[in-house]
Amino acid sequence: MRRVAIVGAGMTSFGEHFSRGIKELIPMALGEALASVDKGMDRRDIGAAWLGEVGTTDGFGAGILADSCGLLDIPVTRTENACATGQDIIRQAIYAIASGYVDVVAAVGADKVRDTSSSSTFWDWMAQTRDMAWDFPLGLLAPANFALHASRYLHEAPATREHMAMIAVKNHFHGVKNPKAQLRNEITVEQVLKAPLVAEPFGMFDCTPQSDGAATVLLVAEEHVARYTDRPVWVLGFGLGIDRVMHQHKRDMTSFTCTVKAAKAAYAMAGLGPRDIDFAEVHDCFTAVELISYEDLGFAERFCAHKLVEARDHYVGGRIPINPSGGLKSKGHPPGATGVAQCVEIFEQLRGQSHNQIDGARVGLAHNIGGPTAASGITILGKSRP
Amino acid sequence: MSDASVEGVDAMGMTIGTYLPPWGTSDGRVLGYDEDALTMAVEAARLVVDAGAAVSRVVFVSRELPLLEGGNTAPLLAALRLPDTLEVVEQIGGAPAVLDALMSAAPSTLVVAVDAVAPAGAAAALIGARNPLTFAGRAQRSLPQRTRLADGHSYRDDDPRLMRESGVRTSLAAAQLAEKPLVMAGASARDAAAWSAAGAPTLPTLGASSTLFALAALVDSSRSGLVAAIEQAALSAATFAAAGSTVRRHERTPQKAVVRKRSPGGDIKLSLAAYDRAFKSKVGWQAGQCTSCGLMSIPPRFHCLGCGADDQWTLAALPRTGTVYTTTTIHVPVPSLESPYTLAVVECDGTDVRSLMHVTDVPPGRVAIGAHGRLVLRRVAMRTGVPDYGHAFSPDPAASLTAAGGAT
Repeated sequence: MRRVAIVGAGMTSFGEHFSRGIKELIPMALGEALASVDKGMDRRDIGAAWLGEVGTTDGFGAGILADSCGLLDIPVTRTENACATGQDIIRQAIYAIASGYVDVVAAVGADKVRDTSSSSTFWDWMAQTRDMAWDFPLGLLAPANFALHASRYLHEAPATREHMAMIAVKNHFHGVKNPKAQLRNEITVEQVLKAPLVAEPFGMFDCTPQSDGAATVLLVAEEHVARYTDRPVWVLGFGLGIDRVMHQHKRDMTSFTCTVKAAKAAYAMAGLGPRDIDFAEVHDCFTAVELISYEDLGFAERFCAHKLVEARDHYVGGRIPINPSGGLKSKGHPPGATGVAQCVEIFEQLRGQSHNQIDGARVGLAHNIGGPTAASGITILGKSRP
Repeated sequence: MSDASVEGVDAMGMTIGTYLPPWGTSDGRVLGYDEDALTMAVEAARLVVDAGAAVSRVVFVSRELPLLEGGNTAPLLAALRLPDTLEVVEQIGGAPAVLDALMSAAPSTLVVAVDAVAPAGAAAALIGARNPLTFAGRAQRSLPQRTRLADGHSYRDDDPRLMRESGVRTSLAAAQLAEKPLVMAGASARDAAAWSAAGAPTLPTLGASSTLFALAALVDSSRSGLVAAIEQAALSAATFAAAGSTVRRHERTPQKAVVRKRSPGGDIKLSLAAYDRAFKSKVGWQAGQCTSCGLMSIPPRFHCLGCGADDQWTLAALPRTGTVYTTTTIHVPVPSLESPYTLAVVECDGTDVRSLMHVTDVPPGRVAIGAHGRLVLRRVAMRTGVPDYGHAFSPDPAASLTAAGGAT
């Protein structure tokens, strides 16, 4: 099996791109990734591409990527794995390269959430993602998906809504420095707690915004890395975890089982443990998801995630900075692009060129969770060749 | 609600169950947003059927049958866990029609009567070995001050004096009753007081169910005698022997109806094939149980996660009581749904089977983790003209409710 490295990464800003469609956002992200390659890369070097897209804006995704980027002579596949899509296309790109079939792969994530009305987005997407007889008519919105976990977690753990709010405050604080972030304003705990309720215990400021955007990473087989850069970012490990689809079948809702499974696989492959991770991009579609994930990823003991928050260990400069990019909460969340953009941030951090640089960062972890809390993807990237 | 041992055809008299929605005022109940005539019929009938009594035939009387081209009887039987081979008479009618249906009913007939417009209520009676009603008089007369047409339009021409004189008084005379009835179902409180014997009970409804509420009141006060039921100018009367009958009531204190905002957005899509596959399990509240290892799953599944068997399962009834494992209340508008609404994952008593469902019968956001309650049939959603029935969690009156606004 060949080692795989990321040699280029780029993304559009995240936000409401009313003036640009998916056919503009995808080539923008690819173009920026190509431009970031130190020694340059001709797009004709790309041997295969994956598009991670949760919605189907403007139709057939694989064709749109090929057509809009001028990649008409290579195999292109659209993958959808709920909000774990981003890490999952990177996983598929790694499979393709490590197996020896392809040398250079573009992993492009993109979504155009705001081509649907802000009031109906979750509902429109839900019609495609719920059991039609059992769950769909109940109105199990995306926030409710996660709120069912959060309610039970707050019931069993010492954490409170204030701890959740402190995560939103921290991610906005980080996002202010990120020129690509959607919400670049600081907020206070009080603002979070007083915001209108969405799905208890989540208020509006516990929730990610609705975003458009695209992101790309360029992955290369080890023997070709030197053609492109002298400071690649190496894939150390990855994992994809799946859980029962329906909430009633998840025995312990204080934890995301899919994350635990993905982390176990990724750590094992990397030969690392949670203590070896210098910083992480953690899926904070809702504040409590980041909080619970500290435990699932091993950054905190069970039911002790709030201690990490209280110690401010999750800030840049802390013991384990989480979401230096601003996270989904501040940076934005176009689902297919989200996971790829996390790896864009890690790529820049490990090369010492982030807008919000963490001193001495050598190993970073990217984490997605999605669907009915049933799919999680994790990628561990490092500065040193494994 | 009495906790009598098994009732049924061995019993004399009849077993009466009464249900009032928990919404409205003491002057009149209104339906919950997730109720209709069918769910109310099930609430009332469960009170008399759950004890396991045999039922030979069902008569379902209402002027608000949810579906007019079939589709009411299957959910009624499934939710009551009665065989789908039973004859069910769907009858449009009011108080006199119910009295007629009762007095002509053979033993073990289940008569269900529902009023789904305010004042709303439902009642059911299972006839025992001896029918306690005997015919006493009838007058089929027409004075249609209120009309409701097949196209849904209704008209009113209220003239209470005309109704009193040319309606009630004339029909009572025409029926040639021997004396003043003890109770007059279907009449306004004022007319009932004027034309009944002293001490007539006040009834919570005015339509089909009022006849059974009247009989229930007589059973509770151990009074036997003449009972009249009227709907505009149509009247039926019967003599009722209260001895041997029992009453079970599910009538909670009324609370102010919650204002929910229904968001525009068209119908909630429905796959009728998916509806059909889920029907018996969802409406009958039955799990798929593996015939090899006994593991129960809801919804039923092809491949057993307990023993790995494929397609080896039968339906097994689940307990219709349970405890909240977790909950959330959705406050944002959701197209085609009425916000706010509360969801809960509920664990069925005595099993490890959980299900996701709406919380009903209490204002949104009031149920806490650990609350115990009943699982009741509700109309989960209206989907392109189809009432989608399923089970919802109704917390026990004593269950731990949170202050408004806190699910945790």
